[in-house]
Amino acid sequence: MKIDPEICTGCGQCVPYCPMGAIVLYKKDRKRGEKAFAEIVRDECVECSVCFRADVCQSGAIIKETLEMPRLVRAFFSDPWFSHPGTDIPGRGTEEMKTNEVTGRFREGFVGIGLEFGRPGTGCRLREVEPAVRKFASLDVKLEPENPLTQIVADHESGRIREDVRNEKVLSAIVEAVVPVAKCQEVFQAVKELAGEVETVFSVGVITKVAGDGSYPSVDEMKKAGISPSINGKVNLGLGRPLFE
Amino acid sequence: MREDFILLAMCATGITHRGSAGIKKKLYEVLQRFPHANSGDVKTGSEFNAELEAIRKGFVDTSVLHYVFTDKETVVQVLEEIRKADLGISIVLSGLFDEVEECCKRTDLKPHTVEHSAGVMGRTERLPDERILGITTMCGHGLVAANLVLEMVKRIRRGKLSIEEAAAKLAGPCICGVFNPKRAERLLSELVSVGMPRFRVRGTLQGRDYY
Repeated sequence: MKIDPEICTGCGQCVPYCPMGAIVLYKKDRKRGEKAFAEIVRDECVECSVCFRADVCQSGAIIKETLEMPRLVRAFFSDPWFSHPGTDIPGRGTEEMKTNEVTGRFREGFVGIGLEFGRPGTGCRLREVEPAVRKFASLDVKLEPENPLTQIVADHESGRIREDVRNEKVLSAIVEAVVPVAKCQEVFQAVKELAGEVETVFSVGVITKVAGDGSYPSVDEMKKAGISPSINGKVNLGLGRPLFE
Repeated sequence: MREDFILLAMCATGITHRGSAGIKKKLYEVLQRFPHANSGDVKTGSEFNAELEAIRKGFVDTSVLHYVFTDKETVVQVLEEIRKADLGISIVLSGLFDEVEECCKRTDLKPHTVEHSAGVMGRTERLPDERILGITTMCGHGLVAANLVLEMVKRIRRGKLSIEEAAAKLAGPCICGVFNPKRAERLLSELVSVGMPRFRVRGTLQGRDYY
């Protein structure tokens, strides 16, 4: 995204809409005869298109550019109107538990762990997920293949993200893995250690298939690890067909 | 959170999504009959940023449908309707687990898979006040800016906007329709009535206070 400084009147209406705070307003400088105008700080812009879709610019100064790689990767991860090319899924690019009754991604005896880097609200450079990828690799935890972030990892052992995109900033990106219940404590401990090694924030999601008795096996594992599971969350009602066998 | 239920409907990409546009459109039209706070399709928009007709006509195979309900009795009726329709698409209900479980019990549905949040970790000192986060995090895609919440509070205090109008403006950037403007109204009322801490904008604007 960019703002044409010649057309922009400097009204500032667009400034608060940017989730990354990447729109700067330059005030009128009467002494220098310069008019007020807003500018999008290019490297902080994640190409989410919120400023453009807000439609608050009366002068039409906000321009949606045609993007190419590597910058296009920002839109894939940040603008829900783009589908990730590797998964064909919009938004975060992964279905996670939402279709689990059909995909069978999370089965009995396993727990899904998702670390959404940059959420809530800080955004992240794709290279900032590398400590997490590296840590999971050190525990022999395989990342979910149907996940757009997994698909741009160049080397799982070092955690290195593909060179052309690793400095691109995005609203958020999910490091996603499925681990056996027996490995949960080790992984939760590693996640807690990770908290001290990153420069951004990450939200932790824990997924489990509901047991036959209606209990949630992941909850005991979280409590054992000293993690308080949320009192609210998502429940897949098992209505999708065909059911995974 | 007791009056905040989000229903999502989607198909498994690559397995069942082909040809599903019609089913999602049908479900969207059926659920319009029930009182709700927001609705939308991630591929088109929500009630707060798109025309209902555009949403209705815009369903494609990769659409993801959302509805926000604010009372349990409506949710029970909705689930009953969905169960009877037997559309074969995945339905995820978000809310307080005890409330969702009750809705399931009353409609003879069994939870299949659940997701809990285990919190936010890392450089949490970079985050804004949690009352602001309570509003911004309603958009699962992170499209509602903390600065926009502050701007709306400012306008309410100056009498430029009512709380309802401000909540509607906050729902605008959320294009999939999961944002609950009724909950936003309650949270805005709290923010307007208490003193607000200054919120520093991050990134290359580090150290520059927006307020």
